[in-house]
Amino acid sequence: MAESEEEVDVLVQRVVKDINNAFKKNPNIDEIGLIPCPEARYNRSPIVLVENKLGMESWCVKFLLPFVHNKLLLYRQRKQWLDREALIDITCTLLLLNPDFTTAWNVRKELAQCGVLNPERDLYLGKLVLTKFPKSPETWIHRRWVLQQVLRQCRPRAAEQKEPGEVELGGAQGSPPNERLRRVLRDEMKVCAEAAGRYPSNYNAWSHRIWVLQNLAKGNLKILYDELSSMKLWVSTHVSDHSGFHYRQFLMKALVAELSRATDASCGPSQDLHRSHWPNGDGVGPAAAEESRTASVPELFGKELELCTDLIETYPGHETLWCHRRHVFFLWYHWRKEQSQDVGRQPSLLNHTDETLSGSLGASAGRNVQAMDVDLALEESKQTSYTQDSKRLKRGPLQLRPGLPSEHSFVTKILSGCRSPEQGRFAAAYRKWLDSVIVAADTRDAKKWFSLI
Amino acid sequence: MKLYSLSVLYKGINKSNLLKAAYDLSSFSFFQRSSVQEFMTFTSALIVERSSTGTRSSIKEQEYLCHVYVRNDSLGGVVIADGEYPSRVCFTLLDKVLDEFSRQVDSIDWPSGSPATISYTALDSYLAKYQNPREADAMTKVQAELDETKIILHNTMESLLERGEKLDDLVQKSEHLGTQSKAFYKTARKQNSCCEVM
Repeated sequence: MAESEEEVDVLVQRVVKDINNAFKKNPNIDEIGLIPCPEARYNRSPIVLVENKLGMESWCVKFLLPFVHNKLLLYRQRKQWLDREALIDITCTLLLLNPDFTTAWNVRKELAQCGVLNPERDLYLGKLVLTKFPKSPETWIHRRWVLQQVLRQCRPRAAEQKEPGEVELGGAQGSPPNERLRRVLRDEMKVCAEAAGRYPSNYNAWSHRIWVLQNLAKGNLKILYDELSSMKLWVSTHVSDHSGFHYRQFLMKALVAELSRATDASCGPSQDLHRSHWPNGDGVGPAAAEESRTASVPELFGKELELCTDLIETYPGHETLWCHRRHVFFLWYHWRKEQSQDVGRQPSLLNHTDETLSGSLGASAGRNVQAMDVDLALEESKQTSYTQDSKRLKRGPLQLRPGLPSEHSFVTKILSGCRSPEQGRFAAAYRKWLDSVIVAADTRDAKKWFSLI
Repeated sequence: MKLYSLSVLYKGINKSNLLKAAYDLSSFSFFQRSSVQEFMTFTSALIVERSSTGTRSSIKEQEYLCHVYVRNDSLGGVVIADGEYPSRVCFTLLDKVLDEFSRQVDSIDWPSGSPATISYTALDSYLAKYQNPREADAMTKVQAELDETKIILHNTMESLLERGEKLDDLVQKSEHLGTQSKAFYKTARKQNSCCEVM
């Protein structure tokens, strides 16, 4: 069927209108898709709306896309004028077909800056696009631009903040929490999770998720903890999704940095509590809260290694799980070293755990020995009087405290029982890493690691 | 970690006969689901046809793993899963399902049966339950038993075919696939790229 230019023009106008009408008719469209359909059926629209799914028959794409693409370029070159409504409709159609056409997103940026287009409409359009193109880099990039506009709208007093990127979610100094930002944050987490489910190891989706937390929820302990806990099931059912585990590593680093930062601050009245909602609520006084935070870092690592152990044992032969273990243990190892370096500087109220451990070993103990003897130190402290400190140490089961000896015995256990050749290789490689990299890392600056957050 | 389909088939002399199937297509794009289901049926039937009785195999096709067990009495089962789902659990599931099926459905009905005539309703709930592999009972016990069982591994569907046979031809001739699916297969084969727009 040979089309003349007029026929194509008519067809394209009709399709663009049909798409626009579909959105008007059903504001709850939540997915787009291409319907494999090699030939047009006479006089039937290629746009199909079923339940909340918007489909386009594949035969029309080869007419539609070049035509609409060209139209936008002509507008951009000032050879053809398009009014605002037409621009919105055309860019929408274009992006549903080819979301990496940056020019279309940029036209929408201009429309948003003129005040003609609500930026949150682009959040909706982007969400739809991602159902078909979950990796699309330009979609994620534009999304971040939109979120920056939203942030700007929510924080008119941004210039007064000490630190750029600080969150308003908790409400700065007693002002009511920002409901719009909360909603936007929740929606972003959902969009990232869906995109991550649609494409394995979707790096773009996960790095966007990290960006959102860094820019919309910086330093918010409650959100970091919530994310860590809600992601547990996800990573357990996507055990070779490297990006998912990388997200957990980011959460761990952020939590550790935040918890350590809070400890480093003076132990006076909490200037910093507004930055981080402590999950236990208002009943916790500042000093006790600071203590709980320090004690909870080992628990955090212990639980993460426990999760890793569980997955490694249940699903043998997944390299991602072993990589995750390395990251977590490395982080733990350097946190321990940093803690032991800081012991002298900290007021004793805030650092019970470390005092007990390093105190019992004596100043002459080398760093290496000290780290490896974490488990040993616990044994010694058990024999001393049953003080408040040792009670706190015993709060969790002893195996929650990670250390080199427990790592080695884990590897031995895996190697003795495993039937999968890959699992055996990964376990042996991990042991080699423990022996070479961890010991070598002793001589490197631990602070340099944490500055990479 | 997903299971996409669970099917019970009868391996006849020349071709296999689909008796019952369950599908979980929730992770596929809405408009592709009917084609995907047809392809899974086509694949399951082909695999059973080309597998010898008394064998267990795992066939890799793109990002999917198809696990098949054809019993000595020609009753066969196929699970189509993703690459993460532990294959041992799939074989546990197949053993269980085929055992139960053979006790509930008379073998007289197998050679001529179809999903419409066969009354066995447990497949959907098995598929749903086993989406979480930890549901498999006595997983470690099965690990020990299956060690002795040989599982034949195939890296592609092609390795199941006869010399000179082409998958494209089988697709075109298949009665399990509608015209739309066959057209879809043609274009998908041509492109084979994740960044294609059309």
